[in-house]
Amino acid sequence: MTGKLNVVLTALLVACALSVVNSRYQRNHLVNDLEKLASQQRQLDIDWTQLQLDQSTLGKNERIEQIARTELNMAPLSPARTQYLTEGGQ
Amino acid sequence: MKAGANGSRVAAGKGVSFSKSPVLAVRLPDWRSRVVLFVLFAAFAALAGRALWVQVVDNQFLQKKGASRYMRTEELAATRGKIFDRNGMVLASSLPVKSVSAFTEDIKDAPPEKLRELARLLEMPEADLRKKLNSNRSYVYLKRQVEMDVVAKIEKLDIDGIDTRKEYKRFYPQGEVMAHMVGFTNVEDVGQEAMELAQQKALAGQPGSRRVIKDRLGRIVEDVGMQREPHDGKDLHLSVDSKLQYIAFNSVKDAVEKFHAKAGAAVVIDVHTGEVLALANWPTYDPNNRAHLTGEQLRNRVITDTFEPGSTLKPFTVALALDKGLIKPTTLFDTGTRPYMTGGHPIRDTHPHGVIDVSTIIQKSSNIGTTKISELLTAQEMWQMFTKVGFGQAPRYGFPGAAAGRVRPYKSWPIVAKANMSFGQGISMSLLQLAHAWLIFARDGDIIPLSFQKVTEKPVGQQIISPKTAAQMRTMVESVVGPGGTASQAQIPGYRAGGKTGTAQKVIDGRYSQTHYVGNFAGMVPMSNPRFLIAVMIDDASGPVHTGGGVAAPTFALLAANALRAANVPPDSTVTDIIIPEHPLEESN
Repeated sequence: MTGKLNVVLTALLVACALSVVNSRYQRNHLVNDLEKLASQQRQLDIDWTQLQLDQSTLGKNERIEQIARTELNMAPLSPARTQYLTEGGQ
Repeated sequence: MKAGANGSRVAAGKGVSFSKSPVLAVRLPDWRSRVVLFVLFAAFAALAGRALWVQVVDNQFLQKKGASRYMRTEELAATRGKIFDRNGMVLASSLPVKSVSAFTEDIKDAPPEKLRELARLLEMPEADLRKKLNSNRSYVYLKRQVEMDVVAKIEKLDIDGIDTRKEYKRFYPQGEVMAHMVGFTNVEDVGQEAMELAQQKALAGQPGSRRVIKDRLGRIVEDVGMQREPHDGKDLHLSVDSKLQYIAFNSVKDAVEKFHAKAGAAVVIDVHTGEVLALANWPTYDPNNRAHLTGEQLRNRVITDTFEPGSTLKPFTVALALDKGLIKPTTLFDTGTRPYMTGGHPIRDTHPHGVIDVSTIIQKSSNIGTTKISELLTAQEMWQMFTKVGFGQAPRYGFPGAAAGRVRPYKSWPIVAKANMSFGQGISMSLLQLAHAWLIFARDGDIIPLSFQKVTEKPVGQQIISPKTAAQMRTMVESVVGPGGTASQAQIPGYRAGGKTGTAQKVIDGRYSQTHYVGNFAGMVPMSNPRFLIAVMIDDASGPVHTGGGVAAPTFALLAANALRAANVPPDSTVTDIIIPEHPLEESN
């Protein structure tokens, strides 16, 4: 009776030990994936910052005005040649 | 000796081997083996004890040594907060870069062609690079804040002794236009000027670190725990509007060039919220490239420079007398045709105006008129008025280096002081203080705090003059910006504008200069419901015109017209043809 119990318990112990090894291995993998994703997030943050900077640089009023004036031949409007439409007005 | 030698031969001859000779058999006492046994046992016991000691009782040291084989402390960088304008446009932002440095001992044997390539990548002459490498120190910085793509190329060169370290670089996409508003940081990412300095604490991040376990490939397999939590810096949303700032900046820049002035400045304030929408200076600098920076470029003339504004201050004395019920806009004063003597000093007008009412005194900017009005007031009342609107008071704008200006205590005012201050002499302030004080006319007589950050709550004002007085003053300053006023050049097609010019003689070596002037203008648009309060200052115009009406008023008009258009403010006037008299009236000082 005791002999059988011992065999069962030993088998259980070995199974538990192996499952610990397995779960540790899996955890290591998951931690590694998490770290990869975290560094990916950091890189995306940097990219976002870079894009915001680019947007600000390219959207600079100075640049827009220059392009509007020289490339598109635009001129600022003046009230003298502007027709204002007011809702309910004459 | 001989006998002994024979003896041994004899012994051998007897057939007994030397080693078995009973003569040589030694009888050892028993205790000796026991001692040896005991000593050996004790030595082993000592080893076991020691092992127990270092592994169980005092195990810290070995634990630490063990941990250092697999545990690593990882630095967690914190980024400095970004700075945005009111519409979410980035004004300042940090990106990771690397510093390139060298261990001088290790790099000595590097092949010269690789060093030449390194110098090219670092954009420095090869001689300079060699000089740095030949330094006595063992570790030298070659270049700070090198961008990542360049660093990748340098690392590819694979030179021994080259070290790169991560750091941050601040970028300012709007460049010189925003320089005086945003400021800049130094190479260590610490704020040095303007908002970068004022908000250093909030913007700066707090780097952290954590303990991790790495496997043999350097991959992190376990996060043991945080040592210090990293905190990124907070983002900052400024009140400034990029578009208005650009308009203000260009107006100031053009005016300085057109009028051959030394410098210029302008500030635009939102009348309803007290937010500073634009703050422009010329000369300025590019915060991205600060190699040859001078004090002239760094100076923020709107905030740190004080000047005696001149006639721009007249409305305050008039408003005070109106508010106390001492005068009405229609009250007549005889300004005469000759200088008016007060306290032994002559007060002059540039043109004789004769008998005119209070509105005309403001419209024509009569010194004698305001002097006579100031005679109705006590020094204390005037001092209180100036103090309440912030003159001579340390400003709390949350902006570094803000000047307080100077208002002398009323008890020490000489007799002529009241007259002088009524037209803006003997009292100094910054352009921002002047603009701030003018809010009482643009609003209904109350003053609200200024803000450089976006305002979300309705500010609480402090009533200075009654709403009725404020409305009367608005009518008067609107008449200034008309064909008969001193600021006819401040007219804006399609909009009603109001304001007041000022021309101050600069104080040079303690005396009023007759050749150096500061032309300024403070005004509001549109008059039907003031939205922007704009103050302009043109310093030391050396062209044919130098007065506030001649240099600052047209700058104001240009700035305001573009600002109104950019902000989609509907026109409140049908007048689109501007009439500027051939010889515009100039104010007296």
